[in-house]
Amino acid sequence: MTPYRPAFTAALEIFAAVSQNMDAQGIRPPILVGGAAAELYSSGAIATGDFDVVTRQDAFEAALQAHGFIHPSGPGMMTRGWIHPDLQLGFEVVGATLLDGLADLDRVRLFDAANGDQFLTIAPEDLIADRMGQYASGSAPEMLEQARTLFALSKDLDLHYMERRIREETGNDFGVSDLQV
Amino acid sequence: MTLAFRTYKSSRPAISLDAFGRDVARRRAELGITDADMPRNSGTRRTESKKALLKAIKDIGGNW
Repeated sequence: MTPYRPAFTAALEIFAAVSQNMDAQGIRPPILVGGAAAELYSSGAIATGDFDVVTRQDAFEAALQAHGFIHPSGPGMMTRGWIHPDLQLGFEVVGATLLDGLADLDRVRLFDAANGDQFLTIAPEDLIADRMGQYASGSAPEMLEQARTLFALSKDLDLHYMERRIREETGNDFGVSDLQV
Repeated sequence: MTLAFRTYKSSRPAISLDAFGRDVARRRAELGITDADMPRNSGTRRTESKKALLKAIKDIGGNW
């Protein structure tokens, strides 16, 4: 039995279907990042309401529409995100390039969703480095604990690569040793 | 070389989401890691777009 909540696995099945759809059009599939990636890598220790992705916005949004997503409208609804009324979740494109091009695309992880389609997710090393970067900015102190938990749960990490990436994301203020408690 | 996508070639094999989740859940149990060890985002870095999206999800009944 899957350890993930049903809404999460349903969202990933749609994400995988959208990914296959884009690929069939000759467009590189989107990459899952942010809180949804943290939910995936922590086996649901944290739940996220929306799914951040890095991709080509126009193609992704067209594919979302084909899968029943709508763009919220109304007073105060100035969002770039898309929601699915039945699944009660949303997606938002947060960029076209993974971590400003600093992340090694070959490290992106390929997952099989339950519906047989596949999707891409940021590498755990880069997700942890991104969390450390947010922590180092001073505006998100909770990210240190997230990064440490992800570090503890992840196996077969490339520590050399992750050291470099954490240093890049934190202005050289932190490294892998800051994850070890 | 895994050729799952025509437009993205991965040197790593695909991982079953289900099997991966069970494996991490097992490590969580072994290490005694609970949901409390994974604090939720404080939301201080949310963009206006993100705030509006989360509100829209809540308006249609989303709860996480």
